[in-house]
Amino acid sequence: MKKYTNLKLILAGLVLLTTACKTKIDAPAPSKGSADFSKYIAIGNSLTAGYADGGLYLEGQINSYPNIIAKQMKAVGGGDFIQPLFTEAQSNGSGYLKLGSFNADGTPNLVPVTDKLAVRGQINIPGFPTPVTLYTKYAGDINNFGVPGIKLQQITFAPYGNLNGYFERLLPGNAGTNNTTYLDFVTAKPFTFFTNWLGNNDALGYATTGGAGDVLTDKAQFAALYSALITKLTAAGAKGAVATIPDVSAIPFLNTVTIGALLAGVQKVNPAVQAIYISTATGPRPATSEDLVILTFPTALLGKPTAADPTNNVAANPYPYGLDPRNAMESKYVLDKAEVANARDYVASYNGTIKAVAAGKGLAVFDAFSFLNTFKAPGQQIEGIQFNSNFISGNIFSLDGVHLTPKGYAIVANEFIKAINGQYGSTIPTANLADYRSVKFP
Amino acid sequence: MIKKLLLAACIVMPATIFAQGFQVNLQGQKQIGMAGAGAGTAMDGASIFFNPGAVVMLKKNQVNLGVSPLFFKSAFLKSGSNNVENNVDEIAPPFEAYAVFGPKSGKIKFGIGAYTPFGGLVNWGDKWSGKYSLISLNLKAIYIQPTISVKITDNIGFGAGFVYNHGSVNLQRAVPITKSDGSDSKATLDGSGEGYGWNAGIYFKTLSGVTIGIVHKSKVVTKLNGGDATFDVPTALQSGFPTKFDSQLPLPATTSIGFGFYPSSKTTIAFDANWVHWNVYKELAFDYDNNARIPDTKSPRNYSDGASLKLGINQQQTDKLALRAGVGYAFTPVKDGYVTPEAPDANRIILSAGLGYDFSSKFCLDLSFLYEGIESRKQTNLESNLSGTFKTNVYIPGIGLSYKF
Repeated sequence: MKKYTNLKLILAGLVLLTTACKTKIDAPAPSKGSADFSKYIAIGNSLTAGYADGGLYLEGQINSYPNIIAKQMKAVGGGDFIQPLFTEAQSNGSGYLKLGSFNADGTPNLVPVTDKLAVRGQINIPGFPTPVTLYTKYAGDINNFGVPGIKLQQITFAPYGNLNGYFERLLPGNAGTNNTTYLDFVTAKPFTFFTNWLGNNDALGYATTGGAGDVLTDKAQFAALYSALITKLTAAGAKGAVATIPDVSAIPFLNTVTIGALLAGVQKVNPAVQAIYISTATGPRPATSEDLVILTFPTALLGKPTAADPTNNVAANPYPYGLDPRNAMESKYVLDKAEVANARDYVASYNGTIKAVAAGKGLAVFDAFSFLNTFKAPGQQIEGIQFNSNFISGNIFSLDGVHLTPKGYAIVANEFIKAINGQYGSTIPTANLADYRSVKFP
Repeated sequence: MIKKLLLAACIVMPATIFAQGFQVNLQGQKQIGMAGAGAGTAMDGASIFFNPGAVVMLKKNQVNLGVSPLFFKSAFLKSGSNNVENNVDEIAPPFEAYAVFGPKSGKIKFGIGAYTPFGGLVNWGDKWSGKYSLISLNLKAIYIQPTISVKITDNIGFGAGFVYNHGSVNLQRAVPITKSDGSDSKATLDGSGEGYGWNAGIYFKTLSGVTIGIVHKSKVVTKLNGGDATFDVPTALQSGFPTKFDSQLPLPATTSIGFGFYPSSKTTIAFDANWVHWNVYKELAFDYDNNARIPDTKSPRNYSDGASLKLGINQQQTDKLALRAGVGYAFTPVKDGYVTPEAPDANRIILSAGLGYDFSSKFCLDLSFLYEGIESRKQTNLESNLSGTFKTNVYIPGIGLSYKF
């Protein structure tokens, strides 16, 4: 019966062969190219910090694009990447918005999360109109210097550490005593590689307040500061990547509540209404689809007489709000056509500066402006996922309509990685978008 | 009233495809050992599948049973990534069962066969980079084929069979809608249905001794009606998702010509050329019973035809032992841009080996081993933009028992 023993051996061999061996594909050899990723730092604002859903909280920090980049850089010699994380006990950080439910008409109810906060108090800074919210301090070296709210215009302003609670949190001194500029702070320790995505807030604040609550940073000042920033970052030979400023008028914050939708809503109740009136620099006028309404516009105001509100300097007005030129929608709720053009003009100038300065220093450039414009509805599929710039459903933007979801930040990280690999001949692997979530639904 | 959300438009469900990868060429253990060539030879009851015209040329009535556990081992390297992802080991069990019987005169034979000409089992898991295209697919088509085969002359046999197909599909994919616990939504489409077709062939013994078979197996359009569509989605969105779907599986026709050469009384060489009419596969549609959140899908497929060439040898080593080997090559019908994780298809090379052992004049055991190496193919899918390189190896050991009477 020797024959059968042989047979068994053959069978066992075949089974072993077929179960043990995995099919292989040769991955590209890891290479850092001409760059050195051993100490990577990230410069930027809320996008860099991982801000999402109207707040900075632990999950957002963990899914920040610099953290995703740093994780991927490990394959090609990247070092540890330390973020100023909130603790587990204070994981909700500043607090944020979550999607609580949908109303019968399909509109979302956004609910603030107010437990497990890292808020340590508020302070009034002389000469500064609103109190500054302070957060639990983070001590120790960090690699992610993303500070929500910071403008490029503010990086050399010494008292800034007293006016921004997110920056104050990273500084050793208490609010009121700080005089370290952001630029000095981020360049205090040596580093080999940087990403920089500053400049968004130099246009964003203007756009999200309808051109009424903030001013666009002067173009020449932007150019001078950007040049100074990059010169300092590259002074010790570090290489890096920079990103351009996205079109601030293309975000869901300014494209979800439309004039057309407002008018249709009003006409359901009052078919005679012909137009929505808005306040502009040249006086009230009927709004068109080219005028952008902010996401947080309280729609309940529409069509009602305005009650007097002395604390906010609002006088009573008997005419229906937004439906009569004598009580037009306030400018702070609308980025009108002229303001849109103004913001775009400034962003174009900023981006010209960014590209020119980066080219002069041989830096990688992620053109976020062009890239994010490819997501205007219907958008595009990446890795089997449909993305567009729609609010909530578009998978890119978080619940504040300005900042990104973890999936959105992963896309940004991958685009930075592609730009870096292209510039420096490295092979940093891209992240899998499938590993990151989008807006959480109830 | 105003901030209307248009969720539906952006949650698109791309449809699945069925390709060469789903044609299973495992219909007889002797023929598998010869790379799947068998249209031009009359070796055993598997001729019911390979060429109904050859069935009548079988010398004895017989029953043939076999199974071929199939190990489909695929790998994917996403473009830009350094992480090779493999599918989960799962074993698909294609099987075949044939019975051939007829009067002693040998002028006519009846047969019935049950076999699995199409199927696919691939499971990539729910963590991998392409999970929104596919988590897993389990596709089965079981053909049952009653057959009549007659001798038109001593040297010409003609046979035909009616094909009944019981098809089933279970397709799972992740849906990029995040649930409240942070996990993805998931869609499962599960259904079964029936289809009908035929299989006819003619078999010649030429004066030179060469045998020739010409066979056509018709397409079998299998309709899946009222399949279960299970959407594991956030509660707030559940009511807008479908629970049922209709679809159809277009299983293509195959035209084959096969030759048998007999250089000695102990040696059979078989050569088959197959043309698979995949061009019928223009699109795949899923109709859902509720389109509030997702539209019906109509995905263009635009297949070209597929083809394969197979060459096998059977050597009667001793009275009891036969040794077999084969080689083949198959041309994929999947055009660039349409490759998906369900069928990471490309041209493939086929190598086989087998042996047969006669325990007695009645009992015979056959063992086979087939390897299919599917060429590595770098692709960006036109629908999903999932971009990367697929490489697949398929290992198929097989065992069969025959009883002749």
